[in-house]
Amino acid sequence: MTIGCILIPRFALLAAVGGRREMLAGPVALAPEPGREQAVGEASGAAEAFGIRPGMPVSEALGRCPQLALRPPDPGRTASGWERILRRLESIGAAVESNRAGEAFFAVDGLSGIWGPRREDVLARAGRAVGTPARIAGAPTRFCARAAATMARSRGRGRAAPIRVVAAGGEREFLAPLPVDLLDCALRDRMAPPGRDDPAAGRLVAALERLGVRTLGDLAGLPRIAIADRFGALGLRAHDLARGLDTPLRPRTPHEDLVQAIGLPEAACGPQLERALDLLIERLLGDPRRQGRAIRALSVEARLAGGGSWSATAVLRSASASPERLRLAVAPKLGKLAAPATALALRAVDTTAAAGSQPTLDGNPRDRRRERLTEAVRQVRVAAGRDAVLRVLDVDPGSRVPERWATLAPYNGPGDSDEPGHDRRGGR
Amino acid sequence: MSRPTNPYAPRAITVATVGGRPRRIAGRAVEAVRDQWLVEDRWWTAAPLRRHYLEVVLAGGRCLVVYRDVATGRWYEQR
Repeated sequence: MTIGCILIPRFALLAAVGGRREMLAGPVALAPEPGREQAVGEASGAAEAFGIRPGMPVSEALGRCPQLALRPPDPGRTASGWERILRRLESIGAAVESNRAGEAFFAVDGLSGIWGPRREDVLARAGRAVGTPARIAGAPTRFCARAAATMARSRGRGRAAPIRVVAAGGEREFLAPLPVDLLDCALRDRMAPPGRDDPAAGRLVAALERLGVRTLGDLAGLPRIAIADRFGALGLRAHDLARGLDTPLRPRTPHEDLVQAIGLPEAACGPQLERALDLLIERLLGDPRRQGRAIRALSVEARLAGGGSWSATAVLRSASASPERLRLAVAPKLGKLAAPATALALRAVDTTAAAGSQPTLDGNPRDRRRERLTEAVRQVRVAAGRDAVLRVLDVDPGSRVPERWATLAPYNGPGDSDEPGHDRRGGR
Repeated sequence: MSRPTNPYAPRAITVATVGGRPRRIAGRAVEAVRDQWLVEDRWWTAAPLRRHYLEVVLAGGRCLVVYRDVATGRWYEQR
């Protein structure tokens, strides 16, 4: 089996600088996200030349390079830009796994029948699908493919660098001369929950280098029991990777991009932001692409008035299509917003199959009324269109300008709620 | 069907005035002006908002809130 790797180094930094790529010629790094650990993010090549690495404390980074420019991160643009690239890969039939923006893996073999008998042809087709300069390589394991892509030259925009495919059985030999710091990213992704880095990975790599274990070949040659004794489970994982062993791919399920966004004419915070969130939840639940599916995880993204953006993910204990439960999960995240927002977006990160309704034998009058109301709404929509039933949602009732008092949102009906009889907040 | 998004969106209306005071609104005579006020907002942006609001009573007894956009001079009805 051959696994293809598409690697776009410093993807988050590229998203943060937008069209000003010339900035990357100088020392620039991502500033810490508001409310997070005071450490720099991805750094440009010029910054790395000063010894600046992602995760380094800001004070240390500025100490090493006083002229370092810190750019506010833009997680919203990063996520949406990377999602577009993943969709382009999926459009050629690739089942894609991606744990961080800028890195995608997919099985090449299944695509050979479509895009050419040679694995290089498939990888070249994937490179064209990505549509932006990227490093591309193939190998029998995910880690080996990433290592090969790290060493590859960027392809795209007229550049046609050769694609390296590591042959089956040759992964250990290929990895042997490579430095152990390649393990850093792989271990961070595998040992930590999505979106969070595990600092233990960085400590392991630093400890290996201090002990004189500089290449993956050095690490692979150490006795396994000694690795387990000194570094525990993380060390054993690193040992496996260095020997060319890796876990199988876990591609994501292709899904509709369920996202709703709203622009806030004036930078908003507090109650105004919560009302905007209510509106986004209603719109998300009323989106016909949802097709009755319940939502398991949501991501809320805000564009900040001072530049940059902010995002947070909320995972529900059980999938739900109840606006109250979605609001309970997401609203507390808005409290961590460090600056007023000029735009707010809500994205369904994970959805489940359509939620079935279990009728009861001894339905009470309230349930029967809800069912009749749901049916009435459905019939009105069939007769007069989807927008025939709307509800008024308060936005800024205290405003001096009446059109800011409220807006109309899709009425999702009482059947969408899994809390029978619960009145909708803010409805009129 | 285009989807309405705002129940309070202003609607353009025809107003006949005498000396700046509304006399007829959409063909109906104005019986009285009950109240009037000025709203100035967003003056700190590139799209400032200046409206002269009037709450009027029409000949049929209907109450109506209209405003004149000070910048353009156009009249609008607003619930």
